[in-house]
Amino acid sequence: MQFVIVGTGGQGILFASKALGHIAMEKGRSVVGSEVHGMAQRGGSVVSHFKVGEYLSPLVKVGEADVLLAFDQNEAVRNLHYLRDGGTLVVNLYDPKAFQNDRLQSSLDRRKIEVHPIEGYSILKEHMGGRFLFLNVLILGAMCGAGVGGVSVDEMNQAISDLAPPRFVEENLKVLKLGHEAAR
Amino acid sequence: MSKRSILLGNEAIARGIVEAGCEIATAYPGTPSSEILPAVAAYSDQLGTKTAVEWGANEKVAYEMAVSASFGGKRTCCIMKQVGLNVAADPFMSTAHFDLKGGFLLVVSDDPGPHSSQTEQDSRYFAMFAKVPCFDPSTAEEAKEMVFDAYDLSERHGIVTMLRPTGKVDHARQDVPLRDEVLPPKKDEFKKDPKRWVCLPAGVRVNHPRLNDKNDVIRNEFEKDYEKYNYIVPAKGTARLGIIAGGTTFAFLSDMIRTSGRDDIEILKIGTPVPLPVKLCEEFIARHEKVLVLEQTYPVIETQLNDRNKIMGRWNGFVPRAGELLPELIEEIIAKCLGDEVETSIDEDVLSAMEEMQITPRPPMLCPGCPHRASFFAIRKALPKAITPSDIGCYTLGIMQKGIDSAIDMGAAVTAASGFYLASKVDGEERPVVATIGDSTFFHSGLTGLASAVYNRHAFVLAILDNRITAMTGGQSSPNVGAKLRKGDQGVQIDLEQVCRGCGVSYIKTVEAYDVDENVDVVKDAWAYAWENKEPAVLIFKHPCITILKEPPTPRPVRMDPEVCIGCKYCITSFNCPGLVFDESSKKAYIDERYCVNCGVCMSVCPHGAIVLREEA
Repeated sequence: MQFVIVGTGGQGILFASKALGHIAMEKGRSVVGSEVHGMAQRGGSVVSHFKVGEYLSPLVKVGEADVLLAFDQNEAVRNLHYLRDGGTLVVNLYDPKAFQNDRLQSSLDRRKIEVHPIEGYSILKEHMGGRFLFLNVLILGAMCGAGVGGVSVDEMNQAISDLAPPRFVEENLKVLKLGHEAAR
Repeated sequence: MSKRSILLGNEAIARGIVEAGCEIATAYPGTPSSEILPAVAAYSDQLGTKTAVEWGANEKVAYEMAVSASFGGKRTCCIMKQVGLNVAADPFMSTAHFDLKGGFLLVVSDDPGPHSSQTEQDSRYFAMFAKVPCFDPSTAEEAKEMVFDAYDLSERHGIVTMLRPTGKVDHARQDVPLRDEVLPPKKDEFKKDPKRWVCLPAGVRVNHPRLNDKNDVIRNEFEKDYEKYNYIVPAKGTARLGIIAGGTTFAFLSDMIRTSGRDDIEILKIGTPVPLPVKLCEEFIARHEKVLVLEQTYPVIETQLNDRNKIMGRWNGFVPRAGELLPELIEEIIAKCLGDEVETSIDEDVLSAMEEMQITPRPPMLCPGCPHRASFFAIRKALPKAITPSDIGCYTLGIMQKGIDSAIDMGAAVTAASGFYLASKVDGEERPVVATIGDSTFFHSGLTGLASAVYNRHAFVLAILDNRITAMTGGQSSPNVGAKLRKGDQGVQIDLEQVCRGCGVSYIKTVEAYDVDENVDVVKDAWAYAWENKEPAVLIFKHPCITILKEPPTPRPVRMDPEVCIGCKYCITSFNCPGLVFDESSKKAYIDERYCVNCGVCMSVCPHGAIVLREEA
């Protein structure tokens, strides 16, 4: 299973690969991945590659990712080439109409890419007082809701409980549920 | 070796360093190497060793501390990035000649790509230059294992050894094996022996031939005894191509062969490129009609081959002579070698969609709320015609604000200011010069430049952007902060004003970086003083980096008044904050709340007063 996780600095992307790694290790699987980012600053593009299985290279080759988790709609489009044909995109849209582009839709259809959009910012605004820091867990919840990545929501629940700072566990689990519901 | 744990490549290297019994570890932070030393401290605590860990003020300082600490027999190491080795090149070359006693490991992380460096240089060339053996890991797990062998080799031959990971090893995350036991410490038994430890010209007559002999012996060992790093991966079918691969290219290649089911490639994996096990390579080459050499980043393996007639690689330009070899590129190169078709990954639909959706690249910029942005703005506003040399660190991103005119290497802000001053002095014209440098960089190599500028009477303003941290590399502390690497380990805090005064600077002022309006006048006054007195004036723009704030400062939430905004984009082009965005449909700027941190500095920026305090605060 190969994942590419994209977004911008400060969105908590690295936590997402941490959670996926935790789950894989619990199952006794080997993992390898890599953070690729430019000069460290908030708001810049961040790409994280993550592979579960007997791999040596930390990079996902273009056209081989099973799942693309996009914390940002623009970063999603920019990194679509990583997905294999028939792969799945879970994307946070801040503009619900963002993907209504004919050329984009034609590419997604032709390549049989399954798209699971969630409006992360509005969900967090409505339920979490606009604390956008929870976006990473929301996306992980959406991934489980979409039934992709080979991870069940129970496994993710456990991983979040193990990894989140104790005083934020409860809120994180609530967000996980919100994400799960949003993408079902 | 029962436990496995998911570690960052740099953590894996650090774990190896501690497990191998290293007792003194030093470094200067630099991406992609920065996480190694803090992890050494953490594992040392966890495994109960007494390993001393210290940030040196720069790489030369760090190198000299660590290598000297090994003279009595202890295992020590020094960690840096590739450009750091340029700074430490002097002691590196000297001590390569020494007959060392304790194991000394130099870890240098290279940055092919490069993702956050001024250069793409290959430290394996430095290993060749110094004639020291180099280990080139393909994975995080291998990097950890190599630490043990590097120490063993260093001790057996009394030679510096280099471990040269690249960014994709440093920043890989992988499950790696952990040992619970740590190799026992060695007592410091330094014996006075000037012939051995004093670097004199006369010694070179002995030292250089001895170093050559060591290289011959080590090359021979690499040929025979290091099969775990130098080995052949046979083709599953009939080999049409032989590839010699080192570093991460080997990992990329292995996965590619596995996922694509390619069965026509035989690989010779080289983990010890310097000194190259030449015989091993030549035997491999002899068996193949065509041989491709794939390595990050320079043709180091390739140029050590005696006969390059059959070879396709970086040296003859078959493989691009610059840039990181990524999996996609390697696939293309192999196809080109074999005359196979390459499928293009370019999707015209997506390209047009990106254009229609106005998705443009996201250039790196200073964080929202970054105090440097405020400082650059004040400097530019005060002296719009000033030449503004700068330095290596976050503030290099001031280029997006048109805030910097030059950046060479660490410390060059100060010396470049001297250079620009001299150029205008020769013409006899007043041309303001305002240099910007970070606090950590100032201690790294700004100090000597300042001493030189005072002594020589150079007129410029030196703005030290003091954000209390080495931010770009992940938040290491520096001498002006005083905190040391281990939590609770307190050093002596060196006061920036006093240092500058000690260097002979008479005009020094510390200001709050967020106070843009006041600082415009402060900069003008400082330049007036510098020009009149023909000496450098120092301004310290102080405000903590927003990434280290435990508690956010008093919020000053702002809003854009659309009635007042005339859509001139001045706030965007001259302030360049991710929180300020231009809306093409309304032709007005607006505040993007996803990025805004409510610092309120941009209120001083809009010449029309359109950015105002939000009432609900």
